[in-house]
Amino acid sequence: MQAVRKTFGSVAALNEVNLHINRNEIHGLLGGNGAGKTTLMNVLYGLYKPDSGQIWLDGQPVEIHSPRDAIRQGIGMVHQHFLQVDSYTVLENIVLGAAIKNRPTMQLAEAEQRVKALAGRFGLAVNPQATVEDLPMGARQRVEILKALYRGIKILILDEPTTNLTPQEVDSLFESLRVMVSQGMSVVFITHKLGEVMSACDRITVLREGQSVLTLDRAAASPESLVQAMVGDELDVAGSLLFSADKAVGDAPDRTQPPILDLDAVTVRGDNRQPLLQACSLTVYPREIVGIAGVAGNGQRALAESILGLQAPSAGRISIAGTDVAQTPTVKLLEKLVSYIPEDRLQDGFLPSASVGQNLILGRHRREPYSKNGFLNWPVINRAARRLIGEYKIRTLGPDDTGANLSGGNIQRVMIARAFSFPARLVVAHNPTQGLDIPSIEFVFSKLLAHKAAGGATLLISENLDELLLLCDRIATLYRGQIAGILEREAFDKYEIGRLMSGARIDS
Amino acid sequence: MALELTPDAPGGAATRLKNVADQLLPYLIAVVVAFIVIGLVIGLMGFDVLTAYSTILFTSFKSKNGLVQTLLKFVPLLLQALAFTVPLAAGKFNIGGEGQMLVGAIGAALAGIIFADWPLVVLLPLVLLASVLCGALWGAIPAWLLYQFNMNEILTTVLLNFISFSLVDYVAVELFRDPAAGHPTTVPIGAGGGLPLLISSPPLHSGLILAILVAAAVYIYTNKTSAGYELVVTGANPRAAGVFGIPVRRVFIASLVIGGMLAGLSGGIEVAGSHHRLIEGMQSNYLLLGIIIGLIAKGNNLAVPFVALFIAILEVGASAMQRTLLIPGEMVFIVEALILLFVLLSDVFKKR
Repeated sequence: MQAVRKTFGSVAALNEVNLHINRNEIHGLLGGNGAGKTTLMNVLYGLYKPDSGQIWLDGQPVEIHSPRDAIRQGIGMVHQHFLQVDSYTVLENIVLGAAIKNRPTMQLAEAEQRVKALAGRFGLAVNPQATVEDLPMGARQRVEILKALYRGIKILILDEPTTNLTPQEVDSLFESLRVMVSQGMSVVFITHKLGEVMSACDRITVLREGQSVLTLDRAAASPESLVQAMVGDELDVAGSLLFSADKAVGDAPDRTQPPILDLDAVTVRGDNRQPLLQACSLTVYPREIVGIAGVAGNGQRALAESILGLQAPSAGRISIAGTDVAQTPTVKLLEKLVSYIPEDRLQDGFLPSASVGQNLILGRHRREPYSKNGFLNWPVINRAARRLIGEYKIRTLGPDDTGANLSGGNIQRVMIARAFSFPARLVVAHNPTQGLDIPSIEFVFSKLLAHKAAGGATLLISENLDELLLLCDRIATLYRGQIAGILEREAFDKYEIGRLMSGARIDS
Repeated sequence: MALELTPDAPGGAATRLKNVADQLLPYLIAVVVAFIVIGLVIGLMGFDVLTAYSTILFTSFKSKNGLVQTLLKFVPLLLQALAFTVPLAAGKFNIGGEGQMLVGAIGAALAGIIFADWPLVVLLPLVLLASVLCGALWGAIPAWLLYQFNMNEILTTVLLNFISFSLVDYVAVELFRDPAAGHPTTVPIGAGGGLPLLISSPPLHSGLILAILVAAAVYIYTNKTSAGYELVVTGANPRAAGVFGIPVRRVFIASLVIGGMLAGLSGGIEVAGSHHRLIEGMQSNYLLLGIIIGLIAKGNNLAVPFVALFIAILEVGASAMQRTLLIPGEMVFIVEALILLFVLLSDVFKKR
């Protein structure tokens, strides 16, 4: 891709960007929010028409007007948010929109054989007859990749592919990508995660503010040099929390006082009476960050939602600073006791059709000074919203801007700003840094640590083990709704936690 | 759904004015294009296009009579539109406005007939209250079915309309039939049940003021109160609303009951203000027009009264056009539908 330029209104999202992708390579495209990574790939995939610039494919100049064009040219893309029909099977999702033989009767046996062959060849294990909505994130992503492979593509673009994956799933994804490039394909890997770039990519291009800053072979790259290229002068890289683990933790928790969060043998059952949490006992003391590790879907959501009073335990008791959760409506808990950063920001936390201001007060809308005698105080709310927009660097036109105009990273900033807009005794943060770039992650960490320093308790539920190891005083590991083990900071061991996550302790 | 511009928007008055202009432009274009299209049709049918235009647009302003007629149409249209937009804010579709209106009218008529000799200070509030409560009941039935059995409110509100038609027949034919009338109609309500007139000739009743006050209250409720915020949030994302402590299912109920109350009141005002009795067919096509108004206003309760007034002008112009030029009045229904289509289309273009 040569000198590609794309402007939205008066903003140049891409400014003369060059990108060269070789055969047989995994090419990392690294950059912060709004650096233009996704825009560049959307140009390549035919979703956007560039203002100027030329795309060359196998030495030929090509014009790509639509995704259909792109696929015909052998370019496929897996988006950050999957475009799947939840109620269809894996196979149906894969063939959807592709040429189907004998369309009226939907004879898919042949297609199924092809999908199985592709899955086997690239190590993308998935059952073609499973319904997509029942699958974990990792498997849904494999469906998305198979969808592209099924159409015979040669260049695969992955937009933030590891955002919702567990470490194991990330590893197996990388293995599959390796097989693909060894068979003549090319992979473009959009990310802001350094570790992944360093472990998976052959060459790396860093974008910043719509420009290609540098392209390096992996051998020539170091995490520090890449971070510096990504953030420019925005961040003191050497002094960053990310590279100085010991400075991060701060003071030891205060266990002389009663715990702020106290779960006593809590069992939560799902709709089908299946236990989501089983006899979980857990405490979080003042000035303590307790991490919850575990593969997604092992009870993390039930844990968070039961603490907020959204799912009633069938047994056991939860209290926050002495207040019995079962006796207190969620709105009351959110007033002073708990702040919540939900796992799935789009589903559980965000109001796309409402304004940014309305988004920022959700859960606090019955609390003074936002509300008095049942009336909202808009001048106060707008002032607070503008302050939060500035402090949390939310890129938006202002409190009146429609939520739908925000990008994923900015939506996450709204979630963070909302959670920390009022002091609370307990913060329940579920994957708080997902989809954020490095300066933003740093910012979230500093907020969590400030909450800790002020004597607050934090329950940090995260699928990012590195994050937990960096910040937590204790880490509890969930497996099938049970706490498989709790480790103190001195005893932190990645492999031990990995064993607990895979159920080695409980099942044996 | 469009949401209000909150008071102290950044950039001050100039930006706000520009925002308003930006929002109004698609409407203007939609109206102009709709009129061009309908002008072509009227022209092809061999009628005088310019006379037709001026009749549609200006009948309301040419005479005192036209103005009063327009305002009398405006009242039920406004309330019907709000009966649609309030549940819409919570993401629920109330297609039962005419049933709720008729049941409200039944309540008003029964109260006014049974207690016919009570004085105005008691009877008028009673008549209006009866209409609101009966409308609320007719909204509460689908709300309860939704809460208890998760039954789709679109289906239940529509079906309850049909039941209300039979109820009207029962009351107007069996219970309190006016034997002098050729059409199913009840005897008149007591004099104390009538809304006082603002102008006596042509008669304009004070339901107009009541409707405007109610519209102001609805706007304050949806845009300025915590409860209204919960309504809007529930409509925007019910799952997130629930996670952050909003009792979503109760909000659904409240929205449908309030919708029923508003529609019921529209029936009560028709009885107490215009007809002084229950008449079969009095629901006219207020339900559809109310929905169209709500959708053209994109659910914005500040815009609803203005859109309702505009549609009332078109409606009055349409009947005049039918009378004087013999052009079918349904033409205006097509104009209204085209305006709605073009307004909705403008959203699609803006997103591109």
